[in-house]
Amino acid sequence: MSWRRICAADSVALNSLKKFEVDGIPVVVANYGDGFRVFPPICPHMEEPLEESGLIEGKVLTCTKHLWQWNLATCQMEGTETEKLMHFYDVKQEGDDLLAFIKSEHIYEFDEEDEMDDDDFFNS
Amino acid sequence: MKITLQTKSGQFEYDCAPGETILSAGLRHGITLPYECATGTCGTCRCRVMQGDALMGWQEAPGAARLKREKGDCLMCQTVVSSDALIRVASQNVLGAFPRGHVPAHCNGAIANCRKLTHDVMQFDVMIDQPMSFDAGQFVTLAVAGVTGPRAYSMVNFQQATDRLTFVVKRSAGGAFSDWLFDTDVAGATLKVFGPLGAATFYPDEAKNIICIGGGSGIAGMMSIIERACQENYFNDHKGHVFFGVRTLKDCFYMAELSEYVTCAGPNLSVTVALSDEDTGLATHPDFDNLKLDTGFVHEAASRAMTGKFDNMVGYVAGPPPMVDAALRVLIAEGKLPPADIRYDKFS
Ligand SMILES: Cc1cc2nc3c(=O)[nH]c(=O)nc-3n(C[C@H](O)[C@H](O)[C@H](O)COP(=O)(O)OP(=O)(O)OC[C@H]3O[C@@H](n4cnc5c(N)ncnc54)[C@H](O)[C@@H]3O)c2cc1C
Ligand code: FES
Ligand code: FES
Repeated sequence: MSWRRICAADSVALNSLKKFEVDGIPVVVANYGDGFRVFPPICPHMEEPLEESGLIEGKVLTCTKHLWQWNLATCQMEGTETEKLMHFYDVKQEGDDLLAFIKSEHIYEFDEEDEMDDDDFFNS
Repeated sequence: MKITLQTKSGQFEYDCAPGETILSAGLRHGITLPYECATGTCGTCRCRVMQGDALMGWQEAPGAARLKREKGDCLMCQTVVSSDALIRVASQNVLGAFPRGHVPAHCNGAIANCRKLTHDVMQFDVMIDQPMSFDAGQFVTLAVAGVTGPRAYSMVNFQQATDRLTFVVKRSAGGAFSDWLFDTDVAGATLKVFGPLGAATFYPDEAKNIICIGGGSGIAGMMSIIERACQENYFNDHKGHVFFGVRTLKDCFYMAELSEYVTCAGPNLSVTVALSDEDTGLATHPDFDNLKLDTGFVHEAASRAMTGKFDNMVGYVAGPPPMVDAALRVLIAEGKLPPADIRYDKFS
């Protein structure tokens, strides 16, 4: 079982972001009106802490550092600047609780097996 | 030296002169390398050096804080090479030619016409030895002997193929360039100029209404934008909203110039000066009654005045980073502007 309780659903206000730590794994919860999204706390672009740099407007999350955007309803990239997908953990609500399916902490490529080291990367 | 650049959008090769940064060398060859500040603070220009001898001059650059040095990551705006080199940039948007705008170049300049505008704001010209064309809203870097590293400054004027660039600099306490500029007789001093740079540009053919939110010397590039707009009668059929934030009335500058712009442009241009540290109780500037006054932070003044007026708008923001961040939030959350219509420079 990797469904983990993150927080009470009503603890994250409409159109806001809040950071939590679940079993040592940091996540950010976003309430975009139609539901919640749970994702790693840093921007996939340049590691900006999203609970500070993030802004939700009309179901779109903007990292105000360089204006990369993701649609929280569809989980797709938005806008002209965005070059990487955001990683979203599956999420569900049970009663008052918000749960996310987190097998292990998701680390973006720039942190681990680095895409810059991959010789095929630049030809793909 | 030859730089071979691998990006997600293809491979490029270009020459780099001794002592030249790999960013400047790439840009002057028309390659659209990623950058914002060109001076080590933002971190946008990061690359990975795969082969070759590269040295990042300013090791403590704030923009380098999150680099993986052990993997050869460095800031292109701070790095020079001493051999041919292979570098990688993880961007999908690198092109071999500028889609629009002017390819930057190096030139030499000399300071002229220094004029103190307030106790801590100075305007000056740099006369350059090769004419430069630039877009309104752009900046150059200035490097002067005795101050380590170049500094970014936005042009205030707007002219094509000009040998005169006008700047306005706000003194930054303890800053090296600031101290040099304010504490020494700089008239005639020579400097190295590189530019034009920056994407916070105004193009009349976009045919949009414009909002400018500037804090302190952040008004610099906006003066250039308004100048161009007035030269081309842009405000005959587009609206312009300028919000200029300073601390108190005695920190105001360019009031006469802004007032003159409003007179020329007519009712479609409005200028509001927001005073963060002084409540005058006045609705307009005591000396210029076509400039509105407001109290509070400049992004708050913009938010108050602009409700319901964000139609077909492009937004320009410049100034200290916290002010820029707050203004970006207004443009995104209240103005609902898409990123393509928001252009900004953070003066960090
Ligand atoms: C795009 C852009 C446009 C700008 N336009 C204007 C403008 O029109 N008017 C204005 O007043 N200000 C502007 N600024 C801010 C300006 O560039 C300077 O940061 C500011 O004037 C303070 O400079 P200083 O030398 O006094 O302060 P310092 O604290 O000495 O230096 C500030 C900056 O200089 C660079 N620097 C410092 N030390 C080193 C080093 N050892 N090696 C290499 N680089 C170093 C860094 O970029 C640092 O942020 C702009 C900034 C940017 C990014
Ligand atoms: S760090 Fe988030 S958009 Fe660049
Ligand atoms: S462009 Fe190099 S750090 Fe900003």
